[in-house]
Amino acid sequence: MTSQPDTRLRAGVGFSESADPAEAGGAAVRAAVAGLGGQPAALFIVYASVSYDLIALLHAVRGETGQAPLVGCTTSGQFHDGRLITPGIGVSVLALSAGPYRFGVASVTGVRDEPVAAGQRLARAARAAAGPEPSAHAAVLLLTTGLAGHQQELLNGVHKVVGAAVPVVGGGAGDDRLLVRTCVFEGDQVYTDGGATAVWIAAPHPLTVVAEHGWHDVSLPLLVTRSDGLVIEEIAGRPAAEVFREHFHDDVNYERPGLVRPAPGYLSAYAFGLIEPDGSKLIRGAYIDPEGRLRSFTPLPPYAPVQIVACAPDDLLRVTEDVVEQAVAGRDAAVLLAFSCVARLDVLAERGPVEAARIQAAAGDVTTFGFYTYGEFARTTRVAGYHNATLTAIAL
Amino acid sequence: MTGDDEVQELKRQLAAASEAARDAYRDTTRLIQLLALLGQPGGPDELMEDLLAVLSDVFFTDVVCMAQLAGDRLVVTGSCGLPEDDPGFTDGWAAGESALAALSGAVPVAVGGGVRGADAPGSVSRLGIRSAAWIPLSGDPYADTLLILFRTSDRKFTVSDLRILSSVAGRLHLALQEREHNATIEQLAHFGHLLTRHLEAEPLLDAAADLLRRLTRADRTWVVTVEGTQAQLRAHRGLPAEQVQGWPRPAAAVDEPPGCGAGLAEVLRVAVSCENGPTALLYAGRERPRPFARGTLEIMTIFGNHLGVALTNAELYRTLAERATRDPLTGLANRSALVSHLDRLLSAEDPSRVGVLFCDLDGFKSVNDLLGHEAGDELLLQVADRLRHGIRPEDLLARFGGDEFVIVLDRIKQLAEVAEVGGRVCADLNDLFTVSGERVHVSCSIGGVLGVRGRATPSAMLRDADAAMYVAKGRGSGQVEVFDEDASHRSRDRLDLRSELLLARDRGQLHLAYQPIFALDSRAIVAFEALLRWTHPHHGNVPPDVFIPLAEESGAIVEIGQWVMEQACRQLAQWHRLPEGRGLGMSVNLSPVQLHQAHAAERTLGVIRAAGLHPADIWLEITEHSYLRHEVTQYASALGAAGVHLVLDDFGTAYSNLSYLKRLPIEILKIDKSFVSGVTGGHLDISIVRAILAIADSLGLVAIAEGIETEEQRTTLRGLGCRLGQGYLLSRPLPAAQAGLLLRPQEQMPARARNAR
Repeated sequence: MTSQPDTRLRAGVGFSESADPAEAGGAAVRAAVAGLGGQPAALFIVYASVSYDLIALLHAVRGETGQAPLVGCTTSGQFHDGRLITPGIGVSVLALSAGPYRFGVASVTGVRDEPVAAGQRLARAARAAAGPEPSAHAAVLLLTTGLAGHQQELLNGVHKVVGAAVPVVGGGAGDDRLLVRTCVFEGDQVYTDGGATAVWIAAPHPLTVVAEHGWHDVSLPLLVTRSDGLVIEEIAGRPAAEVFREHFHDDVNYERPGLVRPAPGYLSAYAFGLIEPDGSKLIRGAYIDPEGRLRSFTPLPPYAPVQIVACAPDDLLRVTEDVVEQAVAGRDAAVLLAFSCVARLDVLAERGPVEAARIQAAAGDVTTFGFYTYGEFARTTRVAGYHNATLTAIAL
Repeated sequence: MTGDDEVQELKRQLAAASEAARDAYRDTTRLIQLLALLGQPGGPDELMEDLLAVLSDVFFTDVVCMAQLAGDRLVVTGSCGLPEDDPGFTDGWAAGESALAALSGAVPVAVGGGVRGADAPGSVSRLGIRSAAWIPLSGDPYADTLLILFRTSDRKFTVSDLRILSSVAGRLHLALQEREHNATIEQLAHFGHLLTRHLEAEPLLDAAADLLRRLTRADRTWVVTVEGTQAQLRAHRGLPAEQVQGWPRPAAAVDEPPGCGAGLAEVLRVAVSCENGPTALLYAGRERPRPFARGTLEIMTIFGNHLGVALTNAELYRTLAERATRDPLTGLANRSALVSHLDRLLSAEDPSRVGVLFCDLDGFKSVNDLLGHEAGDELLLQVADRLRHGIRPEDLLARFGGDEFVIVLDRIKQLAEVAEVGGRVCADLNDLFTVSGERVHVSCSIGGVLGVRGRATPSAMLRDADAAMYVAKGRGSGQVEVFDEDASHRSRDRLDLRSELLLARDRGQLHLAYQPIFALDSRAIVAFEALLRWTHPHHGNVPPDVFIPLAEESGAIVEIGQWVMEQACRQLAQWHRLPEGRGLGMSVNLSPVQLHQAHAAERTLGVIRAAGLHPADIWLEITEHSYLRHEVTQYASALGAAGVHLVLDDFGTAYSNLSYLKRLPIEILKIDKSFVSGVTGGHLDISIVRAILAIADSLGLVAIAEGIETEEQRTTLRGLGCRLGQGYLLSRPLPAAQAGLLLRPQEQMPARARNAR
């Protein structure tokens, strides 16, 4: 693409930590719009802590944005410009001019009850909202309510409509680790669990979605031999929790392995890597519940080939440059949209801010904008594209 | 080997072992996943969809699809990775070299290191496919079907991949075949059931077109029925507007181009036969170059059999329904169909009103009597035909029963319209009809009412229209009477009274009063007139001129008349036993309706004799305008011969034909009260009375003056030579006990009677 002044994408980011929703929303959106250099905004993305009165916040935001397309969600932490906004407070707004893109936004409910159909409806509506003119390329930015589950089925629905040529990126809304209520936004509407929203990004050039996690194997390949929903009962014919524990490092506090709310100073964490046909792994978080059962956040089917994986903060941080470089490679990008898992933030612990800083450092003068999710989307080749504990990104 | 080398070597071995285990588990797992999926319950579409998603996943493919060869094109029947609006689903792709090789050799084909040309067709070509595999689903009916996998990665499909894929494809075609078979059987059973719900042909054929499209996965389906040389399009799904026009068509040309199949890649047809009904033809066509699944024609045939049964049932139902709602003679709606039609109209939401005309033929009975019932039926058929042509298509003509027809007029604004239609119908019917070779004149009496929707009921409207018809008939033949609400109300009161009258005797509400008939000169009582009285618990005393006609209408008069005769005879017999009562007569009024009964004369004589009386003790009063029919003549002659005295009541008020006085054995004339009241005032009335008395005298008849109210009248009448009289001056009608007192010696007579002298 040749970069002409009027077709270059402009991005502006605004942020507020004010506790007052109207004040926070208004201030963040004004700052974001200011970054567009006078270009009209074609898309707003709003990430907010679930602690706000979201209706009041969006009302204030819409007061500033008018009817421009807007999507967003609640988070478990946000990051932009190399800065981490820790879970519990804050609203971040990204304003984008159209540049060479056309954006169409839409939202659906019903992800819990009929996730595939909801995904189909969402994809059709978002694509239709971008206008009838065909575009050479496209991508879908997908935000779902993280506690609604059925993420891969939602993705299946989107994929059925748009096909392999359209990559999907995004994440599951968080709620500051409260695990109570996650929300997505479209326009001035707030959809809680079961809702999803999407942006159809019509582009003149191919768009690349990237995902990496940085976890490494600590076991030989194993087969899950018995599971019941989210409870993994047997691995290689033996009690699963026992097999899981055997691979913990000597320093690990046996009572608190896994990814949820680790104690400060936690050095490493354990999860499952679902072995993929190409040898790569999809990370599936796991933890031992108070009854001593091994549980996962998404079901591991019987006879799933897995390896127990572990990571230390450095393992996770090591992939950031790679992700950013792959995402922006070969293009004059204006913004990097990144989605990192709250589990990574947990593992990073006091080094949490480092990820945001390294992302920005790798991106150089490209604006970076992201949030900490309850699960990430990165569908590139096949239909599978739902990840845990992974960093995914797209550059526009 | 140094320690480091050993560590490195161990690490290398561990990595190799891990790699080998990973590969082994991956292969095992994907086979397990695929086989588990094939074993899960569900329909063929679900299976295909799930399987393609899993294949995309476990074989790391960007696009995986099922495609069927149609001509030289591959039409995609299912995919994971193609957008839903991809032309591959509709137009298909030109079949590439690898696809054709896989199909012709029935072997899997894999290409790596870049896939070009027709091997990466349509939208797939833009994905940058590097590796692909074509796996035939060998085995009938999937011998023309391929599983195709496309990868953007350089990884070529390995021999092991192809082996797994071939095994899965083999099982997939069996699973698909079985599931399609099961699904079809299930659908056929279900659809057959759905068809039988429809008991009428139109919704049935419409449902058939819809179900057929689902069953055959056709783009267009249509149903044509053939009767004689004409074919009619009865139902369709998906036919373009121009195909729906221009029916009926000659049956022979139905399948000739340009028919409904124009522009379709393939059309299947089956004929459906149905007992007693037209032959139906079922068509299913596909626009796309994708052929129907094999076996579709057989499925259509089975479906056609289901439809045939349903059509036969519908035909049977129609016949039964028709029998239940049609009058068998005329084919018109019967009473029950009339009531439901009227009910439907009256419950409709519409500001207009509903009219009802009740038509009763005048003189139908005589046609039946004279020419026989067959002729009667023939006349009814002709009348029905005449009526049918006189009404609008939206009006309903029903045969209510016998010679009664009802016309229901929808969307009427005012009563005048009802009267107008009634007048027209009347005029239409007032004609000569040829029945059994005889020319008979027919007219009809019509009653009409107007009903307000939401308020009127069928039964009330029919009752009121019937009452209006009676009023019309009362005015003579060929008349129309319409009732407004007030008239209907009055008629309803009358009808209420009529039905209560039927029970009045059992409830002890009827009794007789006796009015003496005096010899005007000697003031002796020569007879009593028995007068019927009805004391109604709410209305009090109902006047005889109100209730006697009601009793005549309902036929209750026969029973009541008998009862009156018995009471009067018994009373007279009782008085005869008194010394003063010897030779006393009893005058009893007779309704002409009573004479319609068989053996009326014998019954009357039986009652008289049973009371121990001689027929000569009884005077039977008949009114001048009621009789003079054949029955009366017979009856009167029989009774006269037996000794009963016949009295002609109300003489002079109706058209008098003196010849009747000669023909009937009348002995007594009653001069109507209206003349009597005028004898002292007007010149005319006294002349009439004088003339009547002269006639009576010349014919040897006795005259009785009715309604004498003043002494002056009595004197005048006496002066004119009238010998007998009755009236309030002499005595009002009295209960039996009091009347009996009048027979006693003078001093015991009641004051009024005494004063009357």
